[in-house]
Amino acid sequence: MSSAEIRITAEPIDNGRCKFLVSEPVHDGGVRRFASPQEASGSPLVEAIFAIPGAEVAEVIVSGNLVTVVKRSAAPWQVIGKPVGAAIRSALAGDRPAVAPKPAAPVAAGGADDDTLYDRVAELFDSQVNPMVARHGGRVELIDVQDAVVMLRMAGGCQGCGMADVTLRQGIEAMLQQAVPEVKGIVDITDHTAGANPYFAASKK
Amino acid sequence: MPCPSKPRLLLLLPTATYRATAFVETARRLGIELTVASELPSTFEHAQPDRLVTLDFSDPERAAEQAAEFARRHPVAGVVGVDDDGAVVAAVIAGRLGLRGNPPAAALAARDKHVQRRELARHGVPVPRFELHGLDEDANALAARARYPCVLKPLRLAASRGVIRADDPRGFAAAFERLTRIVEQAGCSRSILVEDFVPGPEVALEGLVIDGRLEVLGLFDKPDPLDGPFFEETIYVTPSRLPAPAQRALIRCGEAAVAALGVREGPIHAELRYNAQGPWLIELAARPIGGRCSAVLRFQNREKGEGRGGTFSLEELIIRHALGMPLPVLEREQRAAGVMMIPVPGAGVLREVRGITAARAVPLVEDVAITAHPGEALVPWPEGSRYPGFIFARGETPEAVEGALRAAHGRLTFVMQ
Repeated sequence: MSSAEIRITAEPIDNGRCKFLVSEPVHDGGVRRFASPQEASGSPLVEAIFAIPGAEVAEVIVSGNLVTVVKRSAAPWQVIGKPVGAAIRSALAGDRPAVAPKPAAPVAAGGADDDTLYDRVAELFDSQVNPMVARHGGRVELIDVQDAVVMLRMAGGCQGCGMADVTLRQGIEAMLQQAVPEVKGIVDITDHTAGANPYFAASKK
Repeated sequence: MPCPSKPRLLLLLPTATYRATAFVETARRLGIELTVASELPSTFEHAQPDRLVTLDFSDPERAAEQAAEFARRHPVAGVVGVDDDGAVVAAVIAGRLGLRGNPPAAALAARDKHVQRRELARHGVPVPRFELHGLDEDANALAARARYPCVLKPLRLAASRGVIRADDPRGFAAAFERLTRIVEQAGCSRSILVEDFVPGPEVALEGLVIDGRLEVLGLFDKPDPLDGPFFEETIYVTPSRLPAPAQRALIRCGEAAVAALGVREGPIHAELRYNAQGPWLIELAARPIGGRCSAVLRFQNREKGEGRGGTFSLEELIIRHALGMPLPVLEREQRAAGVMMIPVPGAGVLREVRGITAARAVPLVEDVAITAHPGEALVPWPEGSRYPGFIFARGETPEAVEGALRAAHGRLTFVMQ
């Protein structure tokens, strides 16, 4: 497939974060999160995104056919999205993998490595988070923990729900802060536009 | 543990809101303590009782009791309601807790179209001639003595749901019957307004009231004529292209309406018309602009070193104001901006939306947000009140922005089952 045939759909979350849904898999090796240009070394796609002039990219998360970009600049996604799209097409057309395999888990600050954090977060999700969201037909999948940042995906009644961000920030993130305080952050990689059965659908003007 | 030095905002979010992400993420960026109150319980409420609370939005006094009980355990520094009902509840809570807010009577007047008309007329604000009627009255008798063209509207439904124009007695009777079904389905008051149709272009005025003074945040043209028979909105573009004297008259009319209703604090969203007789106040709500539309508003930050690229969102202004935090100069960015509330393509179940990427590729278009989900039943106006999505654009001129919105919309195809 030529790069011109690759379809990329941008889904801005807010002015700082945008998801790019790619018609081709970008990275099959689970989730990878990059918080600096140094971490991107060896991953041509992520190197290119960090190098976009004026974007001030702070973070790139790649999972399957989803690329999430977090930026600091005020430049609109209409401007930044085009070079991101070009970087994705260029990387997928190249000879090297767009994203390098995940290296061995480093030890996070405070002594808890990502694998240990993963196990503790998974236990929390199984024992508390998912029984709660299940009451609204929802489900939360723990995708990965990288550099003490939790990546998750919402499904069922949570996917596309008008209150998904309330659940994420006021519920799940708060529980994580209390039960696993070593966790530094939480990233939702859900494609909420594809949610077919949201528990709460927005309807008020 | 929450830091007690951080102010706590009580945010009243109805579960059917489009606004959760915009407000929640802004609160996070500001580093404040946030408690989200809704009319239905979150599944996390028992696990996070300081962050999530259920309030009876249908009974503002009871909601204020519940909020006061909550505030005894978790002191609250500000309260914000994001929709019409929430604005009333927020006003009552603010009064009970001694927080910045509107007098409850003002919020109630802003929510109820008849009370609002009565108060505005009493204070000399130009409003259409209106009459209050019950749905149990004889429609044919009302039709025989109505002035045409007229508009029939429910007292409290949002987004122009149920608002129907009638041009003659036959049209009146049909509109009356249809509105009766809508009101009964919604379970709201069985009273309606019958008012003169006011010709002329319509604008939306977005503002923030601070100590009774209206700060205008944006004046939007609505370039698609809203002449009925139904009043589904489409495009908002700012700055307005109306002549400067007309804009000044509209703003003065908005200021007069704020004063007449007794609105003292917080966001307002007003709809006005302008014709040879001058400005007309159609409606004023004591809440911010609805849907996803607030994304179109950005405000300049003239103070250096404030971060985040030097712009403020409408949600940030609202939260800062409610908590008494410093506000920037309330000046919208220089560029023109607009939003299209995507019209409902027809009645049916949505299967998919095609052309989103192409629509986003239209120059000046910043985003195309499809909020309807696959399998959702789309209901056209006047029975419906939910847009299937929003298109946002920004450019150098209002004309260019409007053109971009229309071009992007033209690239979308809604496939129905």
